[in-house]
Amino acid sequence: MSVYINSTGHFLPGPPVSNDEMEPLLGLVHGKASRLKRRILQSNGIQTRHYAIDAEHNTTISNAGMAAKAAEHCLTGSFLGKRQIKMLSAATSQGDIVLPGFGSMLQAELGLSDIELHSSHGICSGSMMALKAAFTNLKAGEQPNALVVASELTSRLFKASRYEAAGSTLDFNAEFLRWMLSDGAGALLLENQPRGQCFRIDWIRSFSHADAYPVCMSVGYPTDSDHSKSWQDYATYAQAEAAGALLIRQDVRLLENIVKLGVDGYLRLIAEGRIQPDNIDHVLCHYSSHYFRGKIFDMLQRAGVGIAEHKWYSNLYSRGNTGCASIFIMLDEFRRTQHYQTGDTIICMVPESGRFNNAYMQLTVVEA
Amino acid sequence: MTEHVLSPQGQQCLQALMRVWFEFERQLGRVPLLQRLERGQFSKADYCQLLLNWRQQVIEGSRWISRCASSFERDYSDVRSTIIGHAREEHRDYEMLERDYVAAGGNLSDIQNAPRNIGTEALHGFLMYRAGQPNPVDLIGAMWIIEGLGQKMANDWATQIDKVTGGDGGYTRFMRYHGANDDNHMQKLYQLIDRLCQHPAQLTAIVRTARVTARLYCLQLEEVEHDY
Repeated sequence: MSVYINSTGHFLPGPPVSNDEMEPLLGLVHGKASRLKRRILQSNGIQTRHYAIDAEHNTTISNAGMAAKAAEHCLTGSFLGKRQIKMLSAATSQGDIVLPGFGSMLQAELGLSDIELHSSHGICSGSMMALKAAFTNLKAGEQPNALVVASELTSRLFKASRYEAAGSTLDFNAEFLRWMLSDGAGALLLENQPRGQCFRIDWIRSFSHADAYPVCMSVGYPTDSDHSKSWQDYATYAQAEAAGALLIRQDVRLLENIVKLGVDGYLRLIAEGRIQPDNIDHVLCHYSSHYFRGKIFDMLQRAGVGIAEHKWYSNLYSRGNTGCASIFIMLDEFRRTQHYQTGDTIICMVPESGRFNNAYMQLTVVEA
Repeated sequence: MTEHVLSPQGQQCLQALMRVWFEFERQLGRVPLLQRLERGQFSKADYCQLLLNWRQQVIEGSRWISRCASSFERDYSDVRSTIIGHAREEHRDYEMLERDYVAAGGNLSDIQNAPRNIGTEALHGFLMYRAGQPNPVDLIGAMWIIEGLGQKMANDWATQIDKVTGGDGGYTRFMRYHGANDDNHMQKLYQLIDRLCQHPAQLTAIVRTARVTARLYCLQLEEVEHDY
């Protein structure tokens, strides 16, 4: 049985925020301007993004609220009403509340009845894991359709007050993601029959390498720790926050591994015969393509499996890096604005730096 | 730098060797000593122990490369020239390593008298055996792993070792030296891949030797922490 993406949707909160508007909105830490901001923004190339908090740090819409808006946007363009949805598969790195699962909160927000539910938890690849759960459910004939939604509201972690509560100094690893991540949601509707011009999911595969690498992106460990103590091991949450255990961090030194592992998975899929580099028409990658330049990229070209620059599509630079929601927001905008033809092959890649999980998907454009 | 385009067979070989390398990096990521280095729980004594073990392989390294060169017959005289050049460049590297060991606080006689660890025994034995075969084309796979390691030492390990042991680069010269002339070395490797990987059997042999070399290198590093 084949599975098709018949509709897509997105929600980005508030107006686009430019690079110059970021710091006034997120706040000056200890009243001082960041000295790292310019360098980090230059390296990630992002020009505008969206936040679900305002300059007074009120939350303007919840994470589940954004997810519901993206899902409704997706359904608006579909042949199905809410009552016909049979499965909801949801992803986020951090819901509005710790428990229950994000999917439950989203189901209530959306008003979906009697559905089968799945919540996936992780960072950037969470959406692909949620998508795979829905994809396999449909493939097994268990359900005729599924709504897959990914949403992130990370800006709450970036308020100046959060950094101030964690002490006097800000290290590079704790500040890095402040200038990288932003808010938004994306949604896909999967069905077991094609409608109009749509995307058939050929396969979804992921490779996780957590056993071979240290944690690279995390929330929960205190500053400069040996990882023996987590945020839940303090007597009070206030103590955990003061120790920096609630800050989101990226171990920048380890980031290069994401490129290597991204290439490794790509080569594996070629060796398995799943990817045929010559047949690829479009590449959507949740990682700025300029990170893939350099030595390894050069090696891929020499090895005859490079992908021409013009085939890469990304909206990271204008919509921001919205964690697990990015790939859905990207696919939605690709579907609405880009030129593609029936028969085209689309490769989606989501390398997650959390502890190195890389997900891949191949779509074929088909016409019912 | 002139673009060196590989033949289709060479391209297949390069794809496979890239995967062997990435797998090797994951194997290295599971070696306890290197995990401690990553976490910053790594002392100068650990570093000395690493060098002491490493030196025994470096000093033998030039022997298998020289033997490999001499095993290429007349049709491969161009390959022989390249490999002899490579052997000549590196055959005194162990002296630099010994100087680092002393600069990091070790005794010269300790490193000079240390035996090979069992991983080194296996690696050295394997490479010498392969190098003695006629036209040992597969050893390009071993060179691939060792070149990659050189770059990894220079780019990752040296910096991290200095950072966590409070060094200023004064005792990580051997590791850093391998980062120099990267591009040049890669060009030579690409040329050798193109020259030596011309049919599927050669590809299989090259990849197999790369995998064995990688596994035995890991064994050598795992053995650094073992007393015997």
